[in-house]
Amino acid sequence: MREQILEVLKAHFGDKPINDDTHLMDDLGGDEFDIVDVFMQLEEKLNISIPEEETFDVMTVSQLIEVVGKHVQST
Amino acid sequence: MFSQLKLILFFMLLSTAAGGLWYVQHLKAENEILTLNNAKLEGAVAEQQALIEQQLRDIETQKNINKQISENNAKLNKDLSLANEKFNKVNASGERRDIGALAVAKPKSIERIEGRREQQRSRCFEIAQGSQLTEEELNATKKSQINAECPSIANPNYVPY
Repeated sequence: MREQILEVLKAHFGDKPINDDTHLMDDLGGDEFDIVDVFMQLEEKLNISIPEEETFDVMTVSQLIEVVGKHVQST
Repeated sequence: MFSQLKLILFFMLLSTAAGGLWYVQHLKAENEILTLNNAKLEGAVAEQQALIEQQLRDIETQKNINKQISENNAKLNKDLSLANEKFNKVNASGERRDIGALAVAKPKSIERIEGRREQQRSRCFEIAQGSQLTEEELNATKKSQINAECPSIANPNYVPY
């Protein structure tokens, strides 16, 4: 799952170094719409559904993995 | 006869001297009034001069404020046009972002973002009209800290990267 998340991030933001602490806006140059877009792509790729409220405060890769991970494990 | 003539001449001289004295006294009194009036006029002229100088300074200040507002408006317009470009930006894979599709799939998220952007736009107009920047705005250096609608006027220490 982690690899798939990183694949989506690289496809979206380009070949920038990414680790758990990477900030989606400050380090990858995204905006709030990009984060929503990334969640949509991940839902499609992993065939999961994530309640919107859980995505509101996601700003780093580790937070993204945590939220997505919860739903991948539960399906 | 001769003594009568002398008496007449004496009275004539006396009345001439009295008239002269009265005339001099009158001139002195008039002169004092004129001196006082002159002092009042000089005071009024100095006041007017100070007022004119103050008005000139106010005009200069107003000119500077207008110039600042014009510059802010120009920056604001540039930021807003850039914001429109960013709205439908293309990602690293060459896919154009479709905000409409995002809004249909994730309405709460987009509504939340738009609500925040609306607040930021209002703040942009306040700043353009001369509102002072807050400490938070001045200290913003990261993308997540800035006013996304008008960073060039709201966050002077932010360098786009």
